[in-house]
Parts: sequence; C-alpha cells; structure tokens
Amino acid sequence: MDFLATFTELGHNLGLGFSTAALPVNLAFCFLGVLLGTLIGVLPGIGPTATIAMLLPITFNFEPATSLIMLAGIYYGAQYGGSTTAILINLPGESSSAVTAIDGYQMAKQGRAGPALATAALGSFFAGSVATILIALFAPPLTDLALKFGPAEYFSLMMLGLVASVALASGSVLKALAMVVLGLLLGLIGSDVNTGAQRYTLGFLELADGLNFVAVAVGVFGIAEILRNLEDESDREVMVKKVTNLWPSKEDFKAMIAPVLRGTALGSVLGILPGGGAILSSFAAYTVEKKISKTPERFGKGAIEGVAAPESANNAGAQTSFIPMLTLGIPANPVMALMIGAMIIQGIQPGPNVATEKPELFWGVIASMWIGNLMLVLLNLPLIGLWVRLLTVPYTVLFPAIIAFCAIGVYSVNSNSFDLYAVSAFGFLGYLLVKLECEPAPLLLGFVLGPMLEENLRRAMTISRGDWTVFFTKPLSLTLLLMAAAVLAIVFLPSVRKKREEVFVEEG
Amino acid sequence: MLKSFAAAAAALIVASGFGQAQAQEYPSRPITMVVPFAAGGPTDTVTRLVAESMGKDLGQQIVVENVGGAGGTLGAGRVAKADKDGYTLLLHHIGMATSATLYRKLPYDTLNAFDYVGLVTEVPMTLVSRSDFEPKDLKSLVEYVKANKDKVTYANAGVGAASHLCGMLFMSKIETPLTTVPYKGTGPAMTDLVGKQVDFMCDQTTNTTNQIKSGKIKAYATTTKQRVPSLPDVPTAEEAGLPGFEVGIWHGVYAPKGTSPEIIKKLTTSLQKALKDPTVVQRFADLGTQPSSEADATPDALKAKLTSEIDRWAPVIKAAGVYAD
Amino acid sequence: MQINVKDAASGAIFILIAAWFAFQTQELQVGTPLRMGPGFFPLLLAAVLALLGAIILVKGVLKGKPSEMTGVPWRGGVLILLAPIVFGFVVRGFAPLAIPPLGLVPAVALAILIASFASRRTTVFMAVTMTVLLTIFCLAVFQKLLGLPIPPFAGPLEWLNPYVDAAFAPFGAAWAALKSVFGG
Repeated sequence: MDFLATFTELGHNLGLGFSTAALPVNLAFCFLGVLLGTLIGVLPGIGPTATIAMLLPITFNFEPATSLIMLAGIYYGAQYGGSTTAILINLPGESSSAVTAIDGYQMAKQGRAGPALATAALGSFFAGSVATILIALFAPPLTDLALKFGPAEYFSLMMLGLVASVALASGSVLKALAMVVLGLLLGLIGSDVNTGAQRYTLGFLELADGLNFVAVAVGVFGIAEILRNLEDESDREVMVKKVTNLWPSKEDFKAMIAPVLRGTALGSVLGILPGGGAILSSFAAYTVEKKISKTPERFGKGAIEGVAAPESANNAGAQTSFIPMLTLGIPANPVMALMIGAMIIQGIQPGPNVATEKPELFWGVIASMWIGNLMLVLLNLPLIGLWVRLLTVPYTVLFPAIIAFCAIGVYSVNSNSFDLYAVSAFGFLGYLLVKLECEPAPLLLGFVLGPMLEENLRRAMTISRGDWTVFFTKPLSLTLLLMAAAVLAIVFLPSVRKKREEVFVEEG
Repeated sequence: MLKSFAAAAAALIVASGFGQAQAQEYPSRPITMVVPFAAGGPTDTVTRLVAESMGKDLGQQIVVENVGGAGGTLGAGRVAKADKDGYTLLLHHIGMATSATLYRKLPYDTLNAFDYVGLVTEVPMTLVSRSDFEPKDLKSLVEYVKANKDKVTYANAGVGAASHLCGMLFMSKIETPLTTVPYKGTGPAMTDLVGKQVDFMCDQTTNTTNQIKSGKIKAYATTTKQRVPSLPDVPTAEEAGLPGFEVGIWHGVYAPKGTSPEIIKKLTTSLQKALKDPTVVQRFADLGTQPSSEADATPDALKAKLTSEIDRWAPVIKAAGVYAD
Repeated sequence: MQINVKDAASGAIFILIAAWFAFQTQELQVGTPLRMGPGFFPLLLAAVLALLGAIILVKGVLKGKPSEMTGVPWRGGVLILLAPIVFGFVVRGFAPLAIPPLGLVPAVALAILIASFASRRTTVFMAVTMTVLLTIFCLAVFQKLLGLPIPPFAGPLEWLNPYVDAAFAPFGAAWAALKSVFGG
C-alpha cells in the first residue's frame, strides 16, 4: 500500500472529523457529555450505562453526530470520574477502577491524593490521545485481529489474566488465589447460559441474571472501607490530616512516564477484543508494572506506577473498544449496545457501512474523542484541589453521603431492591475478609471473569466436540497459555517466592 | 441548528421534570413503560421509538425503564403487580408467550395478569451463516446440515432468545437435532459468526441486515410470508423450499389487569397514532420491519396473538426439552 | 504452638463457602467434558477453593505468627449494613412488613438518618441537618438533573409531588437560561 496516500487520506478524514466535531453545538454537547460523565463517575454506584439509558430520549432531537458525541463523552467522562472516587474513598464504580483503588487510595491516605488524581488525569489523556490515533489509523485491520479471537483464544486469554492477577495482592499469594476462585464462583451465580438451569439462586428470580457487579463492588470496597474507618474513630476525625502537595513532583513525573506508555500499549490492544478485553487491561497493566518493578513491595502501599499504568490502560481500552462498534456495528459492552441503539433511533444502521456512508459522523465521533479527552483534562486538573479538600470534610459527614449515593446508584442499575440487600451482604463479607487480610481486588476480577471463563471453555469444547487439544493446536491460544505458564513459574520460582514471603513477614 | 438546539433544551427540561403543569385528566404525570430487557437492544429501540411518539400524542413523557433479567419475566412480573392506574405499562415481545412454557414457575399468570393495549410490530428473522459456509441455498443447507449434523454448529443468544426459538423451530422442521452454541446476547454470537467461529444462526433483521448487505455473513432465507423490503434478494423460507418455517418477533403493549377501559382505549388510540407517525414508520423500515396495522394494534388482536402463540410454541419447547428454570 | 488466627479463620471460611457451593451443586448436572453440565465448572472451582482453604488453614495452624485483631464497630456495623436494606424496603415497598413503596425522598432520608448514627460522634442535631441537606442534594442531582426514573414520593405520599415540582420550578427557568447560553 502506498504509505503517502494512506497518510493523505488520514489527514483528509481527520480534517473532516475535526470540522464536524468543532461545530459549536458539537463542542457544547461534547462538554456537557464529559461534564455529566465526570459527575456520574464521581457519584459512586451510578454508572454510564444507567445514565446513557436515561439521557437517550433527549438525544432524539439532536443531529446524529451531536447525539453520539455527547453519549461518547458521558462514557469516557465516567471512566475519568470513576477513578476519582476510587482514589478518594476507595469506591470503584467499575471493574477497571478497582485496580486504581489499590494504590490510589493508599496515596490519598498518605496525603498524596493530588498527585494520584493528576497522574490518573494525565495518564488517561495521553492514553486517550494515542488510542484515538490508533482508531483513526488502524480500525479495520484491528477489527480483523479481534475476529480471530474465538472461544479457545478467549479462554486462554482469561487464564492468563487470572494467573497474573495474583500479583495484585500485596500479601499472601495463596489467599489471593483463593479470593480469585471465590470471585469466579460468585460470578457463576445465576442462569446457566447453555441450559438455563438456575445455579445458587436460592429461588430468587432477581438472581437469575447473577449478582449485580456494582452491588458487589460497592459492598466489598466501599461499605467494608466505611466499617474499617469506624473501627477507630478517635484518631480519624478527618480522613487525611495533612495534604503534602497537589501536583506530582519531578520524581513522580519520572516514575510515571514508562508505566503510562506500557499501560497505553496494553490497553489499546486489549480494548479491541469485544467482551473481556477492556476489563482485563487495567488488571494486566498493574500486574506488568509490579512484575518488572525493582521494588514490587511498594505496590499496594501507594506506588504511583500502580495508578499511572492501569488508568492509562483503562482509558486506552475504553477508547479502542469503540472499534468493533464503529467498524462492525457489534457492541463490545452494554454502553456500546446503547450507542448502537442511539444510532438506530437516529435512523443510522450501525455496521461496516457507516464509515463510507456517513464519513462526517464516523470521523466526527473519532475527532470528538480527542477533543473530549482534552476537555476532561482541562476540567479535571483544576478540580483536583476541590476533590482533595473533600477529604478534609469530617468523616461523620462524608460516610452517610457515600451510603446515600451508593444506595441510589445501585438501585438505578436494575430498579431492584434485591441489589441493595446484596450491597449489605457483600459489605459484611468484604469487611470480614479484609479483617482476615484477604484483599478484595482479585475477588472482583474473578467475579467479572467467572461467567466468561466458563462460557468460553464450554463453547470451545462444544465447537471442538470435546477435544481438549483445541487450546494447544490454535497458535494464538497456545501462545497465551504458554505466557500463563511462564507467569505461574515466575510466581512459584523459589527465589521470587522467598522475596515475597519476606515482604509478607514484614507486614505481619 | 439553533432551532434543534432549542428543541433539545426544551426536551431536556421536560425530561428533568422541571416546570410541569398539573392536569386532572389521564395522563396527568409521566408514564413509565417497562422494557424487560437491557437498554440498547432491538426491543429497547422499538420501545423508545414508540414511547417517544406516544408521549407526544398523550402530552406526557413516557419514561422507558429497563427491567432486564430472567428472559423478560422479571420486568413482566413487575408490571403485573404494578398499580392499575395506567402509569405503568409493559412492552414485551414474543417472549411473553414462550416464557409461559419455558418457565415452569412464573410469578404471574401470563393470560390473566394483563390487560392488552395492542400489537406494535412483527420483526422478521433471517437464517444466516458465516460468509464461507459451503451450502449455496436453503435446500443445500438443509441437506448439508443433515449429512454433517455432528460437525455443524448453530449459535444462539441464550435460552428464550429469538435466535434460540428460531433454531428450535428449524430443527423441528428438518427433524435433526444440532449442536447449539449458546451466547449471552446477540452481540457476541454475531461477532463469532462474522469471525467464522460458528457456522450459522437465525436472528432478527434488526441485527443481521447490515452484516448481510456488507457481505460479512451469508443469508439463506427470511422467515416471513413475503420478502423483506430491505433485503429484496433474500428469498422467503417457503420460496426456498422450507414451507412453514415462519417466525416473527412480535411486540405488544400491556397494562396491569384491571386498568380502566377508558385508559386502555386512550392508550390504544395513541398507539395506533404512533404507528402511523412518519418517523416511527421510517425507523421501523430501517430496522427491516413495519408497524402493525390499525386492526392489529388493538387489545383483541394482541390477546388472540398471545393465546395462539402460547399454543404454538408449547409443543416445540417441550419437544426440545429446554427449560429456563 | 502459635496459631495465626487470621490465616486459620480465612482458610476455614474458604472451606465452608466451597462446601456450600459443592452442596448446592447436587441438584445440577455435572456432565462430561464434551457436554459439560451446569454443575461441571462450579464443582471444579469449589474443589480448588476447598484445597486452597485447607492449605491456608494448615499453614496458619502450623507455622503461623499470632496477629493482632483490631476491634469491631458493632453499633456502626449494624447501622451501616441496615441503611441500604431500609432504602430498598422503602423505595420499592416490602410486602412482608406491610411497607408500601414511598418514593425516593423518604428512602434516602431514612438511609442517611440511620447511617449517620453509625458514628458515635454524631449528635441528633447533626444527623437531622445532614439528612435534610443531603436529601435535597440527592433529589436535585439524581431525580431532577439526571432524570432518574424514581418518583420523589410514591404510594400514600404521592400528593406531595406537586410541591416538589413547585419548589424546583424556579430552578427550571435558571436551567433553561443556562442551556441557551450553552448554545450561543
């Protein structure tokens, strides 16, 4: 292919995109979208899916491009906002921010919420910009790559993700593994996809579609954290007494560059895979950073790399997950399904033809992503001071507010009281396990991956007629499994383990 | 642009509930229309189009609430138990009839828990395969499938989904049980069909039309009596040699049993108007379907459809031996 | 012998949970690798969990170091866990206790009131002030701004809704003005 021609075409396309995205009305709604997204991201519990569903009717009267630009803005705005709550009050609204909470919240407790938030914002912006260019350049070939992933490949990818997730734990490897398996089991609650059989639902119809992720996350992270803070009220009138600085130091900047680059690369690749890819990206990025770090013992105690890498990966993944939607009209997640719904309501048939039939829409949305990311940085950096000040609000005032937001947010997902009972149940379980030094992040990863792991295993076995070798005869699948084996070997290799146990003993 | 912006702002204000006037006559406040499926799916889209248009006619916004779960039975159960004041409605598809058999323990009595407003639309289905699947037409597909029943894989979007129902009917028509690969929803199933991981499936035109047109998948037949206007080159199942292979995903609007007849009448009239709204007609056409006729958008027609479909599907589901609980 | 209570207890809990899942799997078909039943994968996982739990338990008992346990906030714990449940009862109604659905405002207010007493530092005055202010905030943000489909009041309290609308009407005008500025 003629490289120059490709480049000229890209320039032409992006020019078309920016001329659409830069229309005043589109800029205004892009801003409104990212603002709303940040707002709902910051409010714990309520997620982009519920918000987009609620705002969908409003967009009926917009131009199609305006409507999609605003909805996309809500989506990545929520990704930004979600990490804010994860860092400030240990409350991840989505699986991706569960990873950010590990080190981000520790940084906040040490009075370094400002640098953590700034790192998240800058890392996300960089990742978002790169991912936007990737979408513009490579959307069609990347789609072909994503389609090569069949059930066997997905199963192997998830095995790799699960094995690697052990590195999420700062304490015992065994306990982390047990938490992953417990998460997998909890994820299986609900109707079996193959037969429709009800599993572990105890007769509750509300459990037929499984436990609600938001309810579990709010319970094991948010509620459990509130309970922990109530243990010793005498010395915790406010969460943070001393705020050291608002802005990352020179050392911080140095420390974050490489993780941001690695996170962006990892997130961009994984985000393309529909279902599961984007979820794995932040977990994978964290694992990689911890593995290659010379001082892995700092992770889980406020390491800035532990915020920079997953946040970049998460935002890059969120961005590239638009690829299957834009090029094939196939949704990678519920938010993308809603965007497709919005397109249909606007009279646009989502599918491979959108790029050729409606180039101004296709490229306008892509260009708006970059503009939206820029707006988010400009919006969020000045807000950091405000957020940090939030931590100096007396805790007695803060936690009833958290409870109220969580309750409303969880309820808004399915309009279902049962999910609220689940919040309490998982708050109790989460607190119990945290007291016993079992960390909740691996549990959440297991919970998200459980159903996908089983589905893909069974699907692969059905398609291969019960032939186990299918996982080894497909080159992509084999590569992934070999990587998983390598990670497992590193974890249990004597020298590494010894180092780990030392860390553990120090802690105990 | 400015005008559309002003309209948008106005809509935003209405949606946020600011500055509402109170009126005595029904409807005096926003109506909730429950969709028993996740937001963004084809049923959700149909509902939002109809709700938007009916809301304009009734002078009150119709808020679409997604109460997904358990194959639509959670949402239907919610409406069955709701106040009978006309402020909670249900828009459900063919699943209303099939869940009566698929679920042995339903929290409501399908035929006696609802009042009927009317049919909305019937979305056709298409039998499609991966782009490089050997059979050329429906006849050779049936032969191929029968000869290679241990090799062929049929994808569906989970128990009770349209693609599951269509697959059961196909297997009962060709009298050959096949290996079914279930997915959680149409999206992942379509991804694997386009990616050539599975051989064939049967799904609503809503999901397949664009993939067919772009050549990413191959179409064998539509499950309708007449050809689908948006897919003029695809024969009907009858034309292609499989008479009786007819499935349509019909949608209807329901209210809780005991809603006053005046309210039902008002709703039916409003539904009939909405189905003639040019925007609705146009969007439905884009989806490969058309609004129900005025005669079908009536309580009696919906009741008759529901009753006959329960009777039609019960033996098919029982023969397949699949239950959702 | 020194026992690490945290390890021993978490090991025991993992074993118990695994046992519960395994027990519940009885009703499900396990199947074969080719035709895996709904019970196959969970049973496998339950076995792995039980094994991991056993190793953690044994290690905790044999070569553990005693670890310190911090106190449990009983009053706070009960109240915090109660708050979401009460919210659920009130917003949707709860037939067994004859609670009708009352809407967003009573549900949020009750949840905040209950939660705020979880802290020993909260006085009645503080709790009530917080409840009023936060309830108004939630109503404005979730119901009015984001358009959450939960009525402010429902059932027997429905007659209060017009007053809510009236109270927010002045803001409606401000909102509209803001919008027109947006559009230029």
